[in-house]
Amino acid sequence: MLATTASRFTGLAERRPRGITWVMVVSTVLLGVLAGLPSLWPTSFPMLHGVMVDTDPENMLAGDEPVRIFHNAMKRAFSLHDMVVVGIVNDEHPDGVFNPESLQRVFALTQFARTLQWPDPDHPDRRIGVVEADMLAPSMVDTIEQAGLGAVSFSWLMPEPPETRDEALAVRDAARALPMLDGTLVSEDGRALALYLPLTHKDLSYRVRSALLEHTADWAGTGDEVHITGLPVAEDTFGVQMFYQMAISAPLAMLVIFLVMWWFFRHLTLVTSPMVVAMVSAMGTMGLLVVTGNTIHIMSSMIPVFIMPIAVLDAVHILSEFFDRYPHTRDRVRTIRDVVATLFAPMLFTTLTTMAGFASLALTPIPPVQVFGVFVAVGVFLAWLWTMLFIPAFILMMPEEKLAGFGHASSNAGEAETPLSRGLRALGRGVAARAKPVLGVTAVVVAVAIYGIGTININDNPVKWFEPAHPIRVADRVLNTHFGGTYMAYLTLRPAADADAGLEAYREGFRERLRQRQAGLVADGLPEAGPVFDALAALADAAAAAADDKAGFLASLGAVTADRLDGAPDDRYFAWDEAQVFLDAERQRDEIFKAPEVLRYIDALETVLSETGVVGKSNSLADLVKTVHRELLLGAPEEFRIPDSPEAVAQTLLTFQNSHRPYDLWHLVTPDYRSAALWVQLTSGDNEDMARVVDAVNAFTAANPPPRGLETAWFGLTYINVIWQEKMVAGMLAALLGSFGVVLVLMAVLFRSPLWGALCMIPLTVTIGLIYGIIGLIGKDYDMPIAVLSALSLGLAVDYAIHFLSRTRATVAAVGAWSTAVGPVFDEPARAITRNAVVLGVGFLPLLAAPLVPYQTVGVFIAAILFTAGVGTLLILPALVTVLQRWLFRTPSGADQPAGTVPSAMTPDHGKGV
Amino acid sequence: MIRSAFAKPAAAATAAFAVAVAAMVLAAGPGRAADPGVADIVHRTNLVSYFQGKDGRARVSMTITDDQGRARARQFTILRRDEADTDSLRGDAYRGEQKYYVYFHRPADVSKMVLMVWKHLTRDDDRWLYLPALDLVKRIAATDKRTSFAGSDFFYEDVSGRSIDLDRHELVSTTDTYYLIRNTPKDPGAVEFGHYDMYVHKATFLPIQTEYFDRQGRKYRVYRVLRVEQIQGYNTVVEASMEDLRTGSKTVLAYDRVAYDSDLPDNIFSERFLRRAPTRHLR
Repeated sequence: MLATTASRFTGLAERRPRGITWVMVVSTVLLGVLAGLPSLWPTSFPMLHGVMVDTDPENMLAGDEPVRIFHNAMKRAFSLHDMVVVGIVNDEHPDGVFNPESLQRVFALTQFARTLQWPDPDHPDRRIGVVEADMLAPSMVDTIEQAGLGAVSFSWLMPEPPETRDEALAVRDAARALPMLDGTLVSEDGRALALYLPLTHKDLSYRVRSALLEHTADWAGTGDEVHITGLPVAEDTFGVQMFYQMAISAPLAMLVIFLVMWWFFRHLTLVTSPMVVAMVSAMGTMGLLVVTGNTIHIMSSMIPVFIMPIAVLDAVHILSEFFDRYPHTRDRVRTIRDVVATLFAPMLFTTLTTMAGFASLALTPIPPVQVFGVFVAVGVFLAWLWTMLFIPAFILMMPEEKLAGFGHASSNAGEAETPLSRGLRALGRGVAARAKPVLGVTAVVVAVAIYGIGTININDNPVKWFEPAHPIRVADRVLNTHFGGTYMAYLTLRPAADADAGLEAYREGFRERLRQRQAGLVADGLPEAGPVFDALAALADAAAAAADDKAGFLASLGAVTADRLDGAPDDRYFAWDEAQVFLDAERQRDEIFKAPEVLRYIDALETVLSETGVVGKSNSLADLVKTVHRELLLGAPEEFRIPDSPEAVAQTLLTFQNSHRPYDLWHLVTPDYRSAALWVQLTSGDNEDMARVVDAVNAFTAANPPPRGLETAWFGLTYINVIWQEKMVAGMLAALLGSFGVVLVLMAVLFRSPLWGALCMIPLTVTIGLIYGIIGLIGKDYDMPIAVLSALSLGLAVDYAIHFLSRTRATVAAVGAWSTAVGPVFDEPARAITRNAVVLGVGFLPLLAAPLVPYQTVGVFIAAILFTAGVGTLLILPALVTVLQRWLFRTPSGADQPAGTVPSAMTPDHGKGV
Repeated sequence: MIRSAFAKPAAAATAAFAVAVAAMVLAAGPGRAADPGVADIVHRTNLVSYFQGKDGRARVSMTITDDQGRARARQFTILRRDEADTDSLRGDAYRGEQKYYVYFHRPADVSKMVLMVWKHLTRDDDRWLYLPALDLVKRIAATDKRTSFAGSDFFYEDVSGRSIDLDRHELVSTTDTYYLIRNTPKDPGAVEFGHYDMYVHKATFLPIQTEYFDRQGRKYRVYRVLRVEQIQGYNTVVEASMEDLRTGSKTVLAYDRVAYDSDLPDNIFSERFLRRAPTRHLR
């Protein structure tokens, strides 16, 4: 069946070479146009999808992922924005940046940053950019301090740039005295300061950063250094650099592959055909990606670089086959027919395994990885299709004279004497002779690999996606040394959904408190409270009968009481007013974050956080209350505490709200005082560090359950990264197992034998195990690119085994015994495998030129995997075949040949030119 | 009794207003900064906004609503006593020192809290805060009056009045109903605004809408009179809002139980009465 399909392909290429070319060109151009038009003129083509760039690592998780929904809900509840952190450091001046000249510059920079807003393209009446009201800068925050004569003062920390050294140092000291600012605005060493610029949209951070850098360009030579960091900056900058990567790596990969092919075949015209296939496959795939409304993300930006080397492989097979055969016949049509018939099945199967490897990424729960896997699989299919159709058509369209001199009739002899050929033959003889030692060594390697895998450290950090010398990495290091940390995570405390007791249970306490208040008021000289509170108790009984819950009860009772107050005789007015105050206090009992015991619990949590060693600083409602309380009480250090009653807390907070920025409170607690957020500043964005902080909090809350049925939950970018990493690790295991299963089944079908199928899987299993073992042993973190590589490399690495085993089987069938087949197998097929590894390895190397670490990692590791798989195939498989030959070659030769024409695919000349 | 919506400066004007305006325009002419007409308008506005009667009191319901619609309510009584016993504009006689006593009723946990201000003409105000839960009377430095009043979008200066001596005033334009007065600070470093525009209602001299602009000329804060009543012969703003366009927060003040000239004794505006509220005047 495969044979007929193969001949249909060639027949089509023979009859309609130009038609095929046209279809290929037109379909690719059409995709390009469909993708290009809406990108260039989005408004003219609203029905089409244009290029959408997505640089947001948050999108590593689907939009409806609970952690993201919670993150966005909490950001809104606490009016939080993602922030750009601008650090100003001066190592030359003895006072650091706290000198009049530097502070003058900081002041000007702040004024400039306040203006960084632009019209919102989606809502022309709104503006996007820096959220001015929430900026943190010396000239924009309040200080609370003693102002003589027992007065307390709320005033701007630095309303104007200071003119003297003393004034400059006073700014520093005032900020350092406030826990909310110390370590956040002013560094703990008192030498640096940081501005925090919240953004309406975090994808403006590159724009904001660029504007700030431009503004501070003339600071050179002043001693002041500007460092800009924060996760949004890293993420957004990454997106911008991603395009440089695509602009550098993809063309570079093209060039490198072209040069290697030219060196192999030394025929410019012919070599252009695989390049055309590679281009068409990559462009067609990217076109499809855009047209189907998918985004260009960190993962999908790598698609062209993956497709191009893989796309060329099949074409290389055809060309090298043609290269060998054509000189013998000098008949293009016949040669092409033979070549395609020979190669159709192995190319189909290697294509299928490669596609399976990539498509298995669809099993991960990470949308960008799914998109990447599926579309590379699509691209690999396109490459196969156009290789089978266009390469023959291209050869048939070439003028006959251009083929003159192509290929070498005598190449066989020449090839046989190269050092590579001699080495490979020696290798084959050696392995066959020492099969057991080779397998022994393999077993040791596997054992080491398993140990290494056990030591793998799962960790990632988007800031480390930049090279160590990148300004963002430098800023990250400098600022996290000086300050409490630039990585933000937030810990929320909220009551559990079922924390409220029923109305009946509540009313018991209500009655009790009502009597207490009544007695208290009477004792305080308000005797009218006696009858009035009795009346209130009676009204409460009536209201409770009609109410469903506490809120309804208090609302209806409040309404009745208000009527009584309005109609109260003069002597009862104040008592009824007290009754209303009492009811309002009952309502306020739900305002849990005014309760001293709750604030003290927050305080204890912060101590736990600070003991993790990763949290440089945390800010909370408790810190705010303690600070204001201290300043109200003459700044006495012992008054830096939570006051003893909810009323005292409320009055402390109302005092704070007489400042310039009363709304700062709502970043720490919601206006209903039902949810609070702790701002946790981490000095490291490593997921493992965030995970450690989460564990520490969980351990504490388990040992010390929060009061009032409160529950903790995390949000913030640093935390989200941990979640997607956890999903990725689990998802990649699923992908790896899925891809392994699919490839194993394909191999069993191809060889019509589960044993041969299993044998086929061994080299790549050892390879992947080894590579990941090495990753564990050298301490390289298991991060996103590393994770993605495992599943997809499986589909690529199996190709060598397919070639090796099918060829082995055919040769044994021809010559009768494995011992005599070793020689031929380690001739051309071994050379083909070696050269194949070279093309693939070299094809991925341009990723090393990318300025971003994940791409470099992918380049290095995929090259390592493919190289190791090649070597592993040539070492392990012959050893295994030697040991297992009794079972492998049990049946008479030829009786269970693989499907189609696989054995004949590996004719003695196959792969020679590769 | 005037009872009309003043939500927009473009509110309708009567024919009588038009005649009055014509006379005004002829006399003053729009846009001349040093025009005595401007000073006159500004003084009349100052008087009706902050100095009517020799004293005043009101029960105020304050509702602060943030950009997400989350509302917080506070209730307080505000007492004011003027040093000057006259409302005469002649020789600025109406202007003098003032004392304010703000007593919080709700929410319950801040009830009995008191804020007292002695407003001086030539030096910084004196400000006290009484926190009953801490049993603490505290002086609050008042060098900067442009801080939030009790967590709302109103500033201290909006509640007790910004001294007209601090700004340069300019009549930008005159419509059938309004004078548009532009106020520019004499000391730009002391305030957060670049200038503010007042739409002064011609008949009542109430500033019906005030818009604050930052130094880049962007409008960021808007005051609006929502309801006016005539009480004891005084045109009185009984509902007003302040909106912060940057945070999206908005505060509405509704004045109830407004009374003028109720002979508030001077001694209740003292530290002694912070701890022991003059309940008779707070009903």
